Amino acid sequence: MTAPERLAELYAARPELARDLAAGGTPVVGVVGADVPAELVEAAGAVAYRLHGSPDVVSDEARAVLGAALDPVAHSVLTRLLDGSLAFLAGLVVSRDSQASLQLFYALRELRRLEPGRGLPPVVLLDLLHLPTGHTARYDEVRLRQLAGQLTRWTGTPATPDRLAGAVGAAGEVRALLREVGSLRREARLTGTTALHAVGVATALPAADAVPLLRQVVVGAVGEVPAARRVFVTGSGQDTDELYRALEQEIGCLVVGEDHDWGASAGPAEPAGADLAALGVAYRDRGPAAPTASIARRAAATAEAVRGARAELLLAVVREHDEAPAWDFPAQAAAVDVPAVLLARQPYRVDLAKLREVVGVAAGSPS
Amino acid sequence: MTRLAAAGAATAYQKEWFARLRAQAAAGEPIALVNADAPQELLRAMDIPYVVNQWWASVVAAKQRADDALQVLRDRGYPDYSRQYDAISLGSHFLADAPWGGLPQPAVVIAENSGDAARKVFDLWAELPGTDFYPLERSSAVEVPSRWWELVPHRWEEAFGSERIDLLAGEIADLAAWLTERTGRVLDVDRLGSVMDLVNEQAEWNRRTRDLVAAARPTPVRVGDTIPAVMVPQWHRGTEWGRDAARRLYEEVAGLVEAGTAVVPDERLRLMWLGRGLWYDLGLYRRFEERYGAVFVWSMYLAIAADGYLRYGPDPVRALAGRFAGITDQLYTPPWSTEWYVKEARAHGVDGVVHLVADDVPGSWFTTRALEDAGIPVLEIHASNADPRTGGPDRIDAAVSEFIERRLTERPDPEGRPPLQADVRSS
Repeated sequence: MTAPERLAELYAARPELARDLAAGGTPVVGVVGADVPAELVEAAGAVAYRLHGSPDVVSDEARAVLGAALDPVAHSVLTRLLDGSLAFLAGLVVSRDSQASLQLFYALRELRRLEPGRGLPPVVLLDLLHLPTGHTARYDEVRLRQLAGQLTRWTGTPATPDRLAGAVGAAGEVRALLREVGSLRREARLTGTTALHAVGVATALPAADAVPLLRQVVVGAVGEVPAARRVFVTGSGQDTDELYRALEQEIGCLVVGEDHDWGASAGPAEPAGADLAALGVAYRDRGPAAPTASIARRAAATAEAVRGARAELLLAVVREHDEAPAWDFPAQAAAVDVPAVLLARQPYRVDLAKLREVVGVAAGSPS
Repeated sequence: MTRLAAAGAATAYQKEWFARLRAQAAAGEPIALVNADAPQELLRAMDIPYVVNQWWASVVAAKQRADDALQVLRDRGYPDYSRQYDAISLGSHFLADAPWGGLPQPAVVIAENSGDAARKVFDLWAELPGTDFYPLERSSAVEVPSRWWELVPHRWEEAFGSERIDLLAGEIADLAAWLTERTGRVLDVDRLGSVMDLVNEQAEWNRRTRDLVAAARPTPVRVGDTIPAVMVPQWHRGTEWGRDAARRLYEEVAGLVEAGTAVVPDERLRLMWLGRGLWYDLGLYRRFEERYGAVFVWSMYLAIAADGYLRYGPDPVRALAGRFAGITDQLYTPPWSTEWYVKEARAHGVDGVVHLVADDVPGSWFTTRALEDAGIPVLEIHASNADPRTGGPDRIDAAVSEFIERRLTERPDPEGRPPLQADVRSS
C-alpha cells in the first residue's frame, strides 16, 4: 500500500479512529468549524477530531431542527450527533466560523436543555471573531481562555504554558508538512485528493500520529501524477472527497489548490508565540475565509493562490444555503487571469454531469 | 375604526424627513446608511443624518420594486436569492426611478458582521466611489441567562457578558473617530447621554403601549397600524420627535381602550404575527378580521420596542454597546427568543401564531416548538418578508385560512358559538 493509499484509508476511517482513541482512554473532543485551535485541545490532554458530514447521512429530524435553509453539512453533523454515533466524545467545541456552525451550536445547546436524555455530548461555543482590530484580539483571547478552562474540566488536564508550547510546536510541524504536501501537489507529484486527505487526517489524529504519516506521504512522492487540467477549487468547504475524486478520477483534472476551509491554506500562520494571545491572533487572521472576510480580501487571496498554483481554471462550487461564497465569486473571477466558473446552489452531493459540463465549457473558453 | 392617527402622522413625518435628508445630501452633507442592528445613536449624537437599511428595503418592497432591485444584483453576477432584506437597498441604488426619489448615495455605510454574507452587501456599497464601509463584529450568545427582558434595562452587563460589551464599546469609540475623519463631526459624550435618555423615554412609552394592548379585550389596534406608528419613531430614536411620537401613540391607544373601541367588535380569535413584517402585502393583516373575526394583535415591532431597547447606565458608550451587543439574540437565539415569544403570547392572550420563517432567520424550529409546548398553535410560513417571489399573497392567505379553520376553530368557543368557516376566499 502506498502512503497516499494509506492516507485515503485513514481519511475514510476517521470516525472509527476517533472512537478507538476514546475507547483506549484518550479523551476525544469533537470540533466543528475551522476556528478551533487543535493546539489548545491537545494541550488539555485531548485529541481534536474535526467533525465532517456525508450526503448519505442527513436525517429529516436534523433538517427540521436546523431549518432547511442551512448548509447541509450542518444537517449531516447534527444527524451524526443525534444518532449516537459520536457519543464517545468527551465534549464538543463549535466555532463561529460560519452561520451553519453557529446555528448548530445554538441547536445543540437547546436540545441538551430540552432533551437531556438524548445523551448529546457537552457543547461549548468558541466565538472567535476575525476583524483585524485590537478589540477583536482581546475578545478572542478571553474566549480562548474560557475554552481552555472548559477543556480542562472535560479532561482533567490543565493546558499549562509548557503543555501549550509543546502542542503549538507539534501543530507547527503538522502545518509544515501540509505545506510540503501542497508544494508537491503543485508540482503534480501528489493529487489534490491526497492533499485533501492529508488535511482531513491531520484534523482527526493526534499531532504525534499525523506527523509520521504525512512524512511518509512527502518522502514517497517521487513520481508524477498523470498530466491533467490544473484546477483551483474555491467556494464551499469540501468536507468529503467526492468533488475531488470526481474532478481527478472522472473528469481529468488535477486540483492544484483550494481556498476553502478544508484546505491547508485555511489554517493559521504560525503563531508569534506559544500563548493564548498569539494563538488568538493567528486564528483571527487565518484564511481569509468566505463567511468572515471581505470580498476584496478574498479576491486578492484567491488570485494570489491561483497564480501560485499555476492553475488553468478557477472552479467555485457553492452549496445551496452556504451564502458567502457566491457573493465573493464575481470579484474572484475578475481578479484571476484564468477562466472562472461558478456552480451555485449545489446539493450536498456533487452533480457529476453539471460538473463535467461547466469544466468542459470553461476548457473551451479563452484564458 | 379608522386608522390610528399616530400611524398616519408617523408616515407623513417620514416622508417629510426623507425629503429633507435628500436635500441635505444634495447640498453635500454626508449621509450614512446603517443596518438596523448597528448603534445608530452614535450617529444621532454626532448629527450625522442616516437611513436604516431595512427601513429603506421595506419602502422599496412596499412600492413593489424589490424584484427590480434584486434584478440589478442578479445582472451583476450576485446572488439575488441571498440576504434579500439586506441587499434590496443596494440594488435600488441603481434603479432609475426608485421610490421616493431614491436613496441618496451614502458617504458611509455601517453594519455588523452578522450571518455569513451581510457584510458582503456593504463591501459592495463601498465599491462606489465616495462610499466607505465600517464593519462591526457581531459577537454571539455564549451565555444566555433566563428572562432577558428583566435583565437588560439595568443589568445588561450580566445579560450579555462583559466580553461582548467591551468589544462593542471599543468599536464604538473607534467608529466615532473614523466618522470624525470623514465628516468633521465630533462625538460629545454628554450629548450621547442625552440621546440615550431620549431613547429610554421612548422605550418606556412603548412599554406602556404594549402593556395596554396586551391587556385590552377586544384589541383596540391592529398590527398594520402599530407597525408604522412604532417603527417610524424607532428610526428616529434619540430625538424629541421620536419620544413624543411614542407618547402620542400611547395616549391614542389609551383613549381607544377607555372608549371601548375595537378593531373587530366580535373579536373571536387573537393572532400573533411572529417574524418580520410582510412588506409587500400589508393588507394581509386585515384580511381575516371580517372573514373570521380574527385579529393580529401582536407583532415583534411594538414588543421589541417595548422590551429590547431600554438600557440605563452612567456610561453612555457602554450602555449603547449594551443595547446592540446582543440585540438579535433577543429575537432569534434560543432559549432567549423562545421564552420571550411565549411570554408575549401569553400576555396578549393569543389563540394562534402565524410564524413567518425567512431563510436567514435562525432558531425557528425551537420557537415553534416552545409555543406549541405552551399550548399555542403555530402556522409556519416559509417565505421572505421582502421578496414577493418567495411567497405569494394568495399562498399565505390560503395557508392562514386553513390554519384558522383546522387548528383554531376546533376548540370550543367560550360563548358557545359555532365553528368558523371562511366567508370569502381570495382568488
